[in-house]
This record gives sequence, C-alpha cells and structure tokens, in this order.
Amino acid sequence: MKILLIIPAYNEQENIVNTVKKIKEYGEEIDYIVINDGSKDNTLNILKENNIKHINLIQNLGIGGAVQTGYKYAYENNYDIAIQFDGDGQHDVSYISAICEPIIKGQADMSIGTRYLDKKESEFQSTFMRRLGSKIISIFIRIFCGKKITDPTSGFRAANKKVIEEFAKEYPIEYPEPESTVSLLVNKYKIEEVPVSMNERTGGVSSIRLWKTVDYMVKVVLAIIIDSISFRRRGGKR
Amino acid sequence: MQISLKIALIIILVIYLLCIVKAVKKKNMRINYLIFWSITGIILIIALLVPNLVEDAASLLGFEMPINMIFSIAIFIILYLIYNLTTLISKEQNRNILLIQEISTLKKRVEELEKNNK
Repeated sequence: MKILLIIPAYNEQENIVNTVKKIKEYGEEIDYIVINDGSKDNTLNILKENNIKHINLIQNLGIGGAVQTGYKYAYENNYDIAIQFDGDGQHDVSYISAICEPIIKGQADMSIGTRYLDKKESEFQSTFMRRLGSKIISIFIRIFCGKKITDPTSGFRAANKKVIEEFAKEYPIEYPEPESTVSLLVNKYKIEEVPVSMNERTGGVSSIRLWKTVDYMVKVVLAIIIDSISFRRRGGKR
Repeated sequence: MQISLKIALIIILVIYLLCIVKAVKKKNMRINYLIFWSITGIILIIALLVPNLVEDAASLLGFEMPINMIFSIAIFIILYLIYNLTTLISKEQNRNILLIQEISTLKKRVEELEKNNK
C-alpha cells in the first residue's frame, strides 16, 4: 500500500516544520508532499532548508487548486491512498491509520475525519459559527444527496485510487471540501466518516467574520444544489 | 438632427472603426471581436445616414419613442457582452490553474532530475 499525505501550505512558516517532523516520526511507510501555495512568507525557504519534499506552486491557487496538485501527484506516482492533511498543525497524525482503515478494508472510497461525531473524542469542537455552518451544509447535502455527512468542511480526508483519479481530473476549486463530497456522492462513491479530534491552530490567522460566514454559506449551498443537478445527468456515463 | 451633428458623429464612428482595425493589426484584439465591434459601428453609421430609419423601425416594432428602442437594443447587447466575458474569464481561470499546476509539478521533477544527475 503506497500512502501519500498531501499537505497544502499557505504562509505556514511557523507550523510546517513541526507538522512534517511529526509525520516522519509517525512512520516510514508513509510518503508526504507539501504543496506550497505561493506563500508570501518564508515557507518556501524553510521547505528548502529543511529538505522537505515539496511542490512549489508558482502562483497562489487557493486551497482547492493546491490540494488538486497533490492528487495529480498521487495519481501520476501511482499511490493507493492519498490523505489530505493540513499544514497548520490542526490535524493529528495519530489518526492516520484510523482514517485509512475504511479504505483499506474496502468499505469506502473516501473517508472524512469528522470533528463532531464523538464529543469526548475532540476537545477542540471549534467555534459556534463553524459548527452551525457545518450543520447547515450537512442538512443541504442530506437533502440533495441523501446521505448524512456530519462534517462536510473537514479538510482531513483520505481517498482511494478511484477517487484520486477522479480528483486529479476534476476538483472543485472554489469550495473544495463540501463540493467534492457532493460530487462523489452523486457519482455513487461511498463515503465513511471517522471520528477524529483536531488541535487548536498553533499559528497562522483564522478569523471568520459573520458576513464572511454568511457569504460562504450561501455560495456553498448554491454549489451543492448545482453540483447535484448537473452531475446527476452525467451520472450514467461514469 | 442637425447636419453638423450628423457629420461629427459619422466622423467619430469612422475613427472608431479605424481604431478597431488598428487594434487587430497590433494583435491587441482578436478577429472574432473585430466582427462584433465593426458591425456595431457600421449599423450606427447606417442609422445616421438613412433618413428616418430609426423612427420607422421603432414605430414598426411598436416602441412609443425611438430612443426606447435604442436603449433596449443597447442594454441587450451589453448584457450579452458581459455574459460572454464572464464565461470567458471563468474558462481562462481554469486554464490558468491547470497551467500553474502542471508547470509547478514539472519544475519539481526537473529539480529532482538535476539533483540525481549531480
């Protein structure tokens, strides 16, 4: 089993070395690739100095475009499983085996690390606004795709070979997490959720303002509706 | 419309047509768009040259005032143009993303190969 961790990084000079160190400590059988998404800070130099395997995007693409680059890399290099893993220290390496399990067993094509499944599991339940936002997106995914996804905005997810190929060819750039979930669901891929806990962000900036959240919500819901319509028509071919 | 105003407008339109041709020559505009913009210019010149053309067309189509017809046509043309531009921009963005991804991945591979050769 060839496993690849895709680590998108944008202005992560404080966190990236630590994140990669933890991954190296976790196990040798796991490869990783950092996608430096045109960071404006010192991230690129740090990656070079510490000899961290990375792809340097020559322009900033946003999280969707960065992650897709990782999936393309995974597809070209024939990886069996690709795991999306944030560079900011939010995700915990000790859950990697848990998140891979449904895929290795063949129970799912993609597994999502979910924050809200088990209250005890996660000390960091994230802010109220984020929880509410996730809840609303989750409800809409349930209406339009008929499956309950508790944490559709989670960026901690693992994909099998078929999904890697799918994402390498086409990956939503604007609202990648919820949209890719929807497009997989309408194309009849199986998605499982795995309870994980996430750490509080150790660095970087995360300030989600109210209007920004509302704006995000409206567009994501719109994207979910449109994806579920247009993919259904093409669904027969796949 | 006074004859002097008419002449002035026609001169402006001719200059406009020349500007378009020059832009295409200098590769600042693609021939696709030349057709669209020059047709607009030529139609405007015809409308100025043929007496009562606008008035007759407006009453034929049922507009109460000729100016209403001109505004309606102008708004529809502008909407069509902006729609086209937004789809064009989205397509170009997708192409850009693909290019950036491919170039960045290639650069990584080249660097790896260079390292191995040393």
